[in-house]
Amino acid sequence: MTRLETAATWAVLLAALLGAWSVAAATLPVPDYVLPSPAAVVASLGDLVVKGILPTYVAESLRRIVTAGLVALVVGVPAGLLLGTSRRVADFAYPILNFFQSVSGIAWLPLMLVWFGMGERTIVVAVNYTVLFPVIFNALLGVRSVPRIYVNALRTLGASRLRIVTDVMLPGALPSIATGLRLGLAYGWRALIAAEMLVGAHGLGFMIFSAQAFHLTARIMLGMAVIGALWLVLDYFVLRPIEQATITRWGLVQR
Amino acid sequence: MKAKIAVRGLRHEYVNPFTRDRVVALDGVDLEVADGEVLTVVGPSGCGKSTLLGILAGLIPATRGEVLLDGRPVAGPGPDRGVVFQEFAILPWRTVERNIAHGLEIRGVPRAERAAVVRRFVDLVGLAGFEKKYPHELSGGMRQRVAVARTLAADPEVMLMDEPFAAVDAQTRITLQEELNAIAQATRKTILFVTHNVEEAVFLGDRCCVLSRRPGRVKTLVEVPIPRERRTWTLFTSDPSFDATKERVLRLVREEVGER
Repeated sequence: MTRLETAATWAVLLAALLGAWSVAAATLPVPDYVLPSPAAVVASLGDLVVKGILPTYVAESLRRIVTAGLVALVVGVPAGLLLGTSRRVADFAYPILNFFQSVSGIAWLPLMLVWFGMGERTIVVAVNYTVLFPVIFNALLGVRSVPRIYVNALRTLGASRLRIVTDVMLPGALPSIATGLRLGLAYGWRALIAAEMLVGAHGLGFMIFSAQAFHLTARIMLGMAVIGALWLVLDYFVLRPIEQATITRWGLVQR
Repeated sequence: MKAKIAVRGLRHEYVNPFTRDRVVALDGVDLEVADGEVLTVVGPSGCGKSTLLGILAGLIPATRGEVLLDGRPVAGPGPDRGVVFQEFAILPWRTVERNIAHGLEIRGVPRAERAAVVRRFVDLVGLAGFEKKYPHELSGGMRQRVAVARTLAADPEVMLMDEPFAAVDAQTRITLQEELNAIAQATRKTILFVTHNVEEAVFLGDRCCVLSRRPGRVKTLVEVPIPRERRTWTLFTSDPSFDATKERVLRLVREEVGER
């Protein structure tokens, strides 16, 4: 399919979905708060933007996830590289990292609420934790997957250990690091919404959870759509260009 | 002629990780390579010729014996011994020119000087116009040229080559062999070249070292009595001593394969 055909197919599907939804909302014998019409959802968008609620909350949630991503890069990548350089250390760290990667930040929330209280601190810790582990884990896997021959070639050119890390390990692990960052941010985005719901210190999660108390169903649906759409934007305009600029250019990923 | 490389009583053992058997790959290897000489090493498969090269490079530890470079024992890899590997060992995330300049970069050579050296070796191995390309955009033969240029640019005293042309197509191989001959003649580098291809060994070598079957040791050293100026395939193969030398080396290698 060409890009145009893909876009056209999407448009048709979306229109059909919205049409069916409008008809269902108008005809089904349920109150408006159970199934609001698409028009009501769009109207709530206008309302939330005018009141400044949506921009504030979107900014809040984005700030938290972007910070967590940056922290994961600054802390997680060096940690993963370090753990990955030695085979023995890597074998030791692997199951531990794998374990903590699977216990998502959401599962930690009850404990974190006890430790850090109902506030910003719990959200920050939960999200940073969730993003960090996949980044460390995949950086380690990336280092382990670098062909030994590249390391040997550099050693015969007289390279120091540090040189081997910067010139071979880091670039060689980049495809895996990019995967780790993408996974980590995807997990982190979910954990963030969950944490915001539970802790309730602004953000999109808080917005949709608090809307439920007032039967503002259109606002919930809008919030969900925004959560999904923001991820698409983040993935398409931030994460993919990073991959394109490095990995694809080096021929490490066959598309 | 003074020995550039001297190998004395070299033995290498390892444990096969699958069968847990102790394998003696090399035993009692004595060998001298003269300064400026091209020595080719052939032998039946599994005779340890790549292991020998790995030990000379300092990438594989010897169990017993020693390797001397200019009389000093070799411990670990170093830029005095450049290696061209069988597999493609240039870095996929560096362009052709940055791969070739890598050894100089490591040594801390200033940028302007690096550029001049790269220029020279890009021309020498026929890669002009491909400086900005990444390895995945090149053919197999061109990638090996980059690898050869990278090693040459680092200006090692000795070049160790481990079946570097085995993975490229036949036509390209012929060209690369002739180019290497010209380079050997121009730079007068000491080269140890491992191959399983007898014709290649005779074509490239001043002398050709035949290893015995495992555990490998030096079986015979065969002189190739054809001057380097005549080492283009057309001239070389028409030389009356070519066939005789090739047959002799082939027979020596076959003896080792046959006895198995």
